[in-house]
Amino acid sequence: MIYFALLILVIISYLFYYIGKKRALNLKFNGNIKLSSQPDYFGYYVVLMALIPALLMWFGLLLFKGNFQEMFVMSPILFPDISTWSDGKLGLILNKLNNLSVIVNLPLDDLTNGEKSILNMASENELTAAKNLANFDKIYGWSNLTLFIILPIILGFLATRSISGKLNAQPIVEKIITYIIKGSSYIAILITIGIFLSLVFEAINFFRYVNPVDFFFSTGWNPNRAFVVDASEGFDKDDLENAFGFIPLLTGTLLIATVAMIVAIPLGLMSAIYLAEYASKRVRDIAKPIIEILAGIPTVVYGFFAALSLAPFIKDVGESVGLPVSAESALAAGLAMGVMIIPFVSSLSDDVIKAVPQSLRDGSYALGATRSETIKKVILPAALAGIMGSFLLAVSRAIGETMIVVMAASLRANLTFNPLEPATTITTQIVTSLIGDVEFDNPKTLVAFALGLTLFLMTLLLNILAITIVKKYREKYE
Amino acid sequence: MVEQVNSFAIKTKNVSVHYGNKMAIDDVTINFTKNDVTSLIGPSGCGKSTFLRCLNRMNDVIDSCKVQGEFLLNGVTDIYGDSIQVETLREKIGMVFQKPNPFPKSIFENVAYGPKIHGLASTQSELNDIVMDSLNRAGLYEEVKDRMDDIATGLSGGQQQRLCIARAIAIRPEIILMDEPCSALDPIATARIEELINELKENYTIIIVTHSMSQASRISQRTAFFHLGKLIEHGDTSKIFTKPDKEQTNDYITGRFG
Repeated sequence: MIYFALLILVIISYLFYYIGKKRALNLKFNGNIKLSSQPDYFGYYVVLMALIPALLMWFGLLLFKGNFQEMFVMSPILFPDISTWSDGKLGLILNKLNNLSVIVNLPLDDLTNGEKSILNMASENELTAAKNLANFDKIYGWSNLTLFIILPIILGFLATRSISGKLNAQPIVEKIITYIIKGSSYIAILITIGIFLSLVFEAINFFRYVNPVDFFFSTGWNPNRAFVVDASEGFDKDDLENAFGFIPLLTGTLLIATVAMIVAIPLGLMSAIYLAEYASKRVRDIAKPIIEILAGIPTVVYGFFAALSLAPFIKDVGESVGLPVSAESALAAGLAMGVMIIPFVSSLSDDVIKAVPQSLRDGSYALGATRSETIKKVILPAALAGIMGSFLLAVSRAIGETMIVVMAASLRANLTFNPLEPATTITTQIVTSLIGDVEFDNPKTLVAFALGLTLFLMTLLLNILAITIVKKYREKYE
Repeated sequence: MVEQVNSFAIKTKNVSVHYGNKMAIDDVTINFTKNDVTSLIGPSGCGKSTFLRCLNRMNDVIDSCKVQGEFLLNGVTDIYGDSIQVETLREKIGMVFQKPNPFPKSIFENVAYGPKIHGLASTQSELNDIVMDSLNRAGLYEEVKDRMDDIATGLSGGQQQRLCIARAIAIRPEIILMDEPCSALDPIATARIEELINELKENYTIIIVTHSMSQASRISQRTAFFHLGKLIEHGDTSKIFTKPDKEQTNDYITGRFG
């Protein structure tokens, strides 16, 4: 129903655009009236005038549908003791009424036995309320339809009639469009703030159980200690002290990300240089999409590639030269991750290198520079800001990557800088803490939010750092 | 004029250039005298820029471009031959482009770029001297001496173009090619560049492509008129602009076509 209405709305908008424009043109050519805006603007004006009030009201109805429902159905006449109900009970009853309202008006023959027994179990008052609810839903549906079709038509005709030589549509239309654009950008910002705040509040919950100092500076990570203790009895402070130490996760994350970057930066940058400066157009057209496929491979595939092929291979190689390599090594996860993020570096760097104007290349060649001198001394410096950006994107991707680490590295925290040992990362621990039956009154679960917040702040810091570097560089060279 | 082998900076013979199947230059033979300014004029698409870019092999990077004919530097060195590397060639034949294209580096680094690459200075102070001297000769030194470390793209268009000229002469070329160097500049900056070209011809051979016939008559001693890939007429500027041999030339310079 709603989709049908939306389609009609689109058609109406089109019609009104032409009606508005036509009337304006009519006034101009047949009425000899000097218009104060371009004819197009009158079309937009009519469309906006027709749609915006209807959309706003529809949004309002949607927002307050629950409230209206309650007002309409949960009257004290039917339920005298309603004021004493708890929120939970209110919700349950409403849910029941909702179910009842679907079947209450159907003929008895169409009902299944289960539905009949539900009807039989309901009290007389509940049945009345359910009928009211069904009526409400019907009215609500119709009013929606009215809002969607009739109101725009009425408003559209009114707006069309208001077109005259005196009406200056352009500033009105432009103002409304500005508000719409502004609103869209604010929505994106608000959502970001919302996500951040939800992390903050849950993290604060976590820090009620665990001292932040212990979290950020302790080196022991054994969240299961908090799990064995019965939550209702409270937690043993000493137990918690060394259960949520963030340091081994941080070192694990940095270790694996470093391995990944050591793989991705040289390979990615060099393939970008090859693609942008040396490869023929044919090679480039074939090779670039193939490299980009690397980014499209699901990370879980990289995960089992790392766990089943790479890790045993590294173990074999390591043992053949006498190095003790664990079966789940940070190296294996880091290598797989590095391959995965090659296209982030190569594709973006390739684009920025391509974007360096040909005139700079010509200038360098004309001075007798070779191709490699031109690349090293002119093109890469000119593209540096973009290349840094691609590195940064790759780093944050590496830090945020979860699946490969879950499968190939380890779940056990290990404070080490040796890539041949197992290590775990922040993201992996967020996953493990939320797996299974989770209850949000336990630090074992809540720690996910603290970790998430920390991760968020880390990438934020990384971004700020990169922006500062890029800015400093730009001031010097642009 | 008596033709002597060493009086020509560049001699060309039977030059043809194709882009794929399309002919851009058709059998052009022209010699450029030393320490003269030669203007290449002609309507858009007549091949004058293509011809200019053949002289320092800037067309090499264009895959579809095929150059035939004889090019001799100083009457002896085959420009397209194996005996000279393209980098060495471009050290001898500098180029200034239509749009100023300074590198996004400091003013100093822009001029020092060529000398550094070719190892023209053994010490920092020698490099400083080359940079200063080049900027001086390009008439830019006084304007930028206090901000040598500023980014070159912050200069005005005319200053940028003079910087590009300074950059070109910093590697001590014998010949400077200029591809419509003033077309992106205002009249005052143009006058400044023209003045500069006049000074530079004492030491360099200059070949300049220009759309402005008044500019050609002001700055050049020799003028070559191209049309549809052919060299129609070549001679002393004063003669070309007063009593050309060919009617086509006369039509073009009097503005009847082009």
